Amino acid sequence: MKLWREVATVARLDFAEVLRSRWLVFSLVVHAVLATMFVLVGLRESGVVGFTGMGRALMSWSHALLFLLPLLALSATAQVVNQARDDGSLELLLANPISRTGYFLGTSLVRAIALCAPLLVTMPLAALVGAAAFGQDVPWDFLLRGIGVSTALLLCFTAFGLCISVLVRNQQKALVLTILAWVAGIALIDFALVGVMLQWELPPSAVFALAVLNPVQCARLALLSAAQPELSTFGPVGFFLANKVGSTGLLLLGLGWPLLLGLTAWTWSLGSFRRRDLV
Amino acid sequence: MRIELKGLKKRFGKVEALRDVSLELPTGSRTALIGPNGSGKSTIVRVLLGALGADGEISCDGTVVGEDRGEFARRTAYVPQVAPRFAAPVQAVVRAVAASRGIAPAAVEAIARDLFVDVDALRQRPFRALSGGQRQKMLAALALASGAELMVFDEPTASMDPRSRAAFFAAVERLPAATTVLLCSHRLEEIRRLVDRVVVLEEGVVKWRGETTDWLDAHAEAVVEVRAEGDVAAAWLAARGFARGIGGWWNRALPVAERAGLLRDLGRELNGQVHDVMARDVERLDPARRPESEIP
Repeated sequence: MKLWREVATVARLDFAEVLRSRWLVFSLVVHAVLATMFVLVGLRESGVVGFTGMGRALMSWSHALLFLLPLLALSATAQVVNQARDDGSLELLLANPISRTGYFLGTSLVRAIALCAPLLVTMPLAALVGAAAFGQDVPWDFLLRGIGVSTALLLCFTAFGLCISVLVRNQQKALVLTILAWVAGIALIDFALVGVMLQWELPPSAVFALAVLNPVQCARLALLSAAQPELSTFGPVGFFLANKVGSTGLLLLGLGWPLLLGLTAWTWSLGSFRRRDLV
Repeated sequence: MRIELKGLKKRFGKVEALRDVSLELPTGSRTALIGPNGSGKSTIVRVLLGALGADGEISCDGTVVGEDRGEFARRTAYVPQVAPRFAAPVQAVVRAVAASRGIAPAAVEAIARDLFVDVDALRQRPFRALSGGQRQKMLAALALASGAELMVFDEPTASMDPRSRAAFFAAVERLPAATTVLLCSHRLEEIRRLVDRVVVLEEGVVKWRGETTDWLDAHAEAVVEVRAEGDVAAAWLAARGFARGIGGWWNRALPVAERAGLLRDLGRELNGQVHDVMARDVERLDPARRPESEIP
C-alpha cells in the first residue's frame, strides 16, 4: 500500500477516535468560551498598550492563548502512542499492511488538524462577530499575526507531545512530563529571564538569545511587538529588540523558531518510533 | 507460505526472552506454540509480526524479511489475545483494516455474522464498548476475511461462547489448505481443533516439538462423568476407580487413550442403569507424567 493511502487510512480511523472521545468538541468549547469572553469584555473596555477596542480584545485573547495552547496541545498528544501501545491498538494496526511511518504521519496529521481547526475557526469568527456587533473595524494585520503565531506554537507543542508519547512508555510519567514541559514553557517567560538579568547582568543580546529559546516567549515577543513596537516593558532588552530585530524580525522568529523546534522534535520522534520495540 | 525463524534471540533488560529459537512453519502447516506464561510465545509472535526487534533471521518462502515488511504484512493476519480498545466505532475499525488490505468491509461483516455477531446493531458502537467476546469475534472476522497466507492466532477463542467457538473452528477449517496457521494457546480445545503440530517453549527455549496427538496423549487427560443409579452400577463404577460426586454423579480422570475403552465398557456393562454420561479433556497438571524427552 502506498504511503499516502496508509496515512489516509490511519487518519480516518484516528479522526473517528478523536471525534468519539469528544476531545475536538472540548477544544472547540474552550476556544469559543475564550473568544466570547475576550471579545465581549474587551470591546467594552478602554485601550491599553496602544490598542483599543477589537485590537485590544484580540491582543488579550492571543496572550491568553499563549498560555493555554501549549497545555491543550500537550494534553491531546502526550498519550497518543503510549496509550495505543498499552491498549493493543498499535500492535493490531501495525500487524496489517500499515507502516510505522504511515501510522505516525496519519496520527500526527489528525492531532494537528484537531488542535488547529478550532483556533482557525473561532478567532476570525469571533473577530467578525465582534466587529458586526460593536461596529468596529477588524485589525486584520494583528488578527493574521495572532493566528499565525498561535498556530506555529500549537504545532510546536503538538510535536513535543507526540515526542513525549513515543519516548515515555508509561502514561502516568508522560502526564507528569507534560505538566513539567508546560510549566517550564510558561515559567521561563519572565521568572527565568529576570533571574538571569539580575544575577549575571548579561548583555541584552544574550538575554534575548536565551529568551527566544523558549518557543512560548518567542511567540509572545512576536505578538507584543505588534502591539508595542518599542517593547519598552522589556527595558534594555526591549530597546535592543526594537532596534536590532524589529517587529518583522520578531514575527518571523515567532513563526519560524517554534515550527523549527516542532519539526525537529517530530522528526526525532518518528525516527525513534520506527526503530524502537512497539510493545 | 513457508516461514523459517533462525536463531532468534531477544533480551528484555536482564531477562532472556528468547534463547536461540529456531522454528520452521511449512506451507499449510498448523502449529501451536505452547508453554507457561513468560516462556516466549508472545515474544516469538511479536518478533514475527515486526512489533519487536530481535537477533536472528526470519525468512518467508526463502526470502529474508527485512526492514520493509509491507509485503509480508499483507500476507499475514493476526488475532491478538487482548482486543484493542479503540474509541472509534466498529465500522471505522473495520473500514480501516479492510482499506489497508484492499478488501470490502462487507466481506468482514459476512464472516462476523457467521461468528454470530449482530453487525448491524454494533456498527455505530465504539469498538471498546463491545464485550470481550464480540471484540474477539470482530478481530477474528477481520483476519479470516483478509485472505492472508499466514494466520497468527493468540488464544483466539478465549472470550468466545461455545457456539461462536465452534463457528470459528469451522471457519478456520474452511481456510485454503495452503494457509499456514500459528496458534498461541493453552486451551486444549483450540489445540485439538486447530493444529496438527505442537512446539513447547520454556524460558525462551524450544523444549519439545511433535505431533498434536502425541502431545495430547502426554498432556491431556480425559474426565468421564457418569450419572447412574443402583447398587450394581455403584459397585461397578467404584471398582473402576470412579469417585462418587453429588446428584448421583460419579467421575474419574484417566489417560485420553483409555477413554474410548471405558465408554465402551460402560455402555455394555451398565446398559439401562446409566442416565447420563459426559466426557471432556483437561490439561494434566502433574509434571511427573510428562514425557521424559520434555523434562530438562
